[in-house]
Amino acid sequence: MYTKEEINLIALCSFEELTYKQRFNLLSGLTRNEPDFVKYEEILIKTLGGGVYNKVKDKFFSQTYREKLISKLDGRGVKCVTYFSEAYPDTLKNIPCPPITLFCKGNINLLKQRCFAVVGSRKTPPNIIKECKNAANGLSRHFAVVTGMADGADAAAIEGALPSGKIISVLAYGFDHVYPALNENLLHKVESNGLLITEYTPQIPPLNYNFPVRNRIIAGLSEGVLIVSAGKKSGAKITAGYALEYNRRVFAFPYSVGAGSGEGCNELIREGATLARDTLDVLTDFGLNFNPPAEPELSEEEAEILKIIKDAGEAFAPHIAEKAGKPPFRIIPLLSSLEIKGMITRLGGNRFAALK
Amino acid sequence: MLSKITGFALNGLEGVPVDVETDINKGMVSYDLVGLPDTAVKESKERVRSAIKNSALYFPVNKITINLAPADLKKEGSHYDLPLAISILKAGDQLTAETDGIVFLGELALDGSLRPVAGILPILISAKAKGYVNFIVPAGNANEASYIEGTKVFAMQSLRDVIDLLNGERVFAPVEHRSFKAAQSAQKYNYDMSLVRGQKVAKRALEIAVAGGHNILLAGPPGTGKTLLARCIPTIMPDMTFEEALEVTKIHSVAGSLTEEGIVSMRPFRTPHHTATTVSLCGGGNVKIRPGEISMAHKGVLFLDELPEYTRHALESLRQPLEDRVITVTRAGGAITFPADFMLCASMNPCPCGNYGSAYLTCSCTPAQVHKYRSKISGPLLDRIDLQVEVDGIKYEDLAGESKEESSAQVKERVEKARAIQRERFRGESILVNANMGEKQIKKYCRLSAECEEILRNAFEALHLSARARSRIIKVARTVADLAFSEEIKPEHILEAASYRSYDSGSL
Repeated sequence: MYTKEEINLIALCSFEELTYKQRFNLLSGLTRNEPDFVKYEEILIKTLGGGVYNKVKDKFFSQTYREKLISKLDGRGVKCVTYFSEAYPDTLKNIPCPPITLFCKGNINLLKQRCFAVVGSRKTPPNIIKECKNAANGLSRHFAVVTGMADGADAAAIEGALPSGKIISVLAYGFDHVYPALNENLLHKVESNGLLITEYTPQIPPLNYNFPVRNRIIAGLSEGVLIVSAGKKSGAKITAGYALEYNRRVFAFPYSVGAGSGEGCNELIREGATLARDTLDVLTDFGLNFNPPAEPELSEEEAEILKIIKDAGEAFAPHIAEKAGKPPFRIIPLLSSLEIKGMITRLGGNRFAALK
Repeated sequence: MLSKITGFALNGLEGVPVDVETDINKGMVSYDLVGLPDTAVKESKERVRSAIKNSALYFPVNKITINLAPADLKKEGSHYDLPLAISILKAGDQLTAETDGIVFLGELALDGSLRPVAGILPILISAKAKGYVNFIVPAGNANEASYIEGTKVFAMQSLRDVIDLLNGERVFAPVEHRSFKAAQSAQKYNYDMSLVRGQKVAKRALEIAVAGGHNILLAGPPGTGKTLLARCIPTIMPDMTFEEALEVTKIHSVAGSLTEEGIVSMRPFRTPHHTATTVSLCGGGNVKIRPGEISMAHKGVLFLDELPEYTRHALESLRQPLEDRVITVTRAGGAITFPADFMLCASMNPCPCGNYGSAYLTCSCTPAQVHKYRSKISGPLLDRIDLQVEVDGIKYEDLAGESKEESSAQVKERVEKARAIQRERFRGESILVNANMGEKQIKKYCRLSAECEEILRNAFEALHLSARARSRIIKVARTVADLAFSEEIKPEHILEAASYRSYDSGSL
């Protein structure tokens, strides 16, 4: 059950005619006074202007409209956490533009946990995808991992944190939609094991300008942000920008010079973000302990191959074979074994890279 | 006067004897052909009339009735010209020699010379099985006919020669029997493994695929040599046996695509373009049902370049023949079964722009595009492709150096040894190669040690393999073990087999 104040804010978010600014102004006006619209017609007229006010006033003061709205949301299994709710995370309250209502699906207790964001671009190379997964997995021992719902890094972060159930996916659209369609399964998995949140009412479709706006919630919710990959112009960089603005810690994976998918990361590090090689780097920074998973046992031959790959950064199978002085059919099983043990990953075209 | 001459009709790959009966009566001058002839047969009337006249013979001016029996079988093709002409001459008493037991086949030119026709080999094989020994065929079909032992085939230049032969006026020698030498044909391939620079992983995969009869998918950026690699497959396949060559030749003879040599001694390599229709792949036709590309690739390689570009319908139609190794084409005219025991080699780019996973170029496709491109190949089809290999995306400079490459002959030697092991293993079974093993045979011949089971389980988790990849990995591992002359499947064999499944679902 929602309190009257909560219902007011939920209703406020349901008016598509209002801009965020108008809603936010109303919110600030209301917190100063008694939070009930009915008595404050003049505040409404002042913040909205006469025109908009006349458009929405019938709905504004209608009790039936509110009841219908709540029962509709309940019917879809949407739980609302408003600015006035107890479940509303304190971290979000401190940012300049807090979401007025969070529409949630899943385990809303996660909002009260310590959060850490793991984000990156959609075009993250396969080895970083694996690293991202491992990092999210490690971070989920101490934090709820916050990310989006895109392909690439976001999906990897979700997959890494899903086993622990500590995953918050922030959407840039309402619950009536699924985007990207490819990740429908993942979205449902997060809904049942973790938490989906969005500031948009269910009917709002995925609009491109909502995505950067959504990123402020990812940054705001978290104590720190790990950027696993970012191109020159990347949404992940926008998230990092918000994080700096909100005084959050920013970590970034380092990339080799000239790597397109990591230009943004290197730029962030240059601008003062902390270089993070793995989960351990992040967690020690927070003074948290972390026992990295035990290194799998490697045979002598495997260790030799791993060293060759590590020395080269990334290497083609035939080149590895040449360096090891072995025929390819001796190398292929070793590469396969290393891949299964999680020491290397395939980059495509029989190219392999070592994982940390 | 009434005469009866034997010709042959072709029903799929099966020859059916056809009696050409001619009756010449007094009455209004007419020339009737009955017995379900198609257009080419009906038109033969005019060719026969001119050919007879131009062979210094006389075309009867009477009421001529010709019947092709059995009357319910549709007669197609131009090879009835010769039996028709002989039948008319015999009915008109211009030819008195014995013609019983001789099969006449051939198309006539207006000047009376004989033109080669399609389908001689399958007719000869069926006719021989039915007890026919003597044949008269066009000279152009002599090579094709020479491979059938125990027959007496006369390859004639013209109708005049045929008459002289029958009358005994001149002496002709029957076609000399030739024996089949497959080994020579290996020299004729234009491609060789030694021409492919680098690509050691893909070459190894090809060797495994051929050794075990597995289908293979080559994936990689454009211009990395996928097509060249595929073209090398026939060069490392074991030589065709005479029986295999005959089977293949029968199909190619029916399709009318035989070369001068008369027998297909090289393994076929068929490359239908991606605009190919289902019918052109599987076979079909309105009245005469013709073999499709998959039957033309019988005992050889069907190479589908740019696999995702083929229509979904065409690709899905391959599933059943890949499993059964034959295809039954049913039309209003009846159902015909063509053999289709081919090795499928497919190639594709990793994504629409071709640069996905490239070390040097950036892929401009969105993940959704890549997914859509790859999902054009359905799971059930991918299921039948045991090896999915990525070719090395190596730069040109890397290939410029001198390096010694193995020749096809060397690889072929190892393939033949592995095939011999398999022949021994499947003695008494209905299959020849590892790829054709069913679940029962996998259980029987591919026992896995506890260690291997453990590796396989880990591989599934780590590499995101789908459950149905399991039996394919085991089959490939069996072939890898055979290539290493190992009785049991060892961990390294399983590991190698697992690495050739990069396009399985979930690996994206």
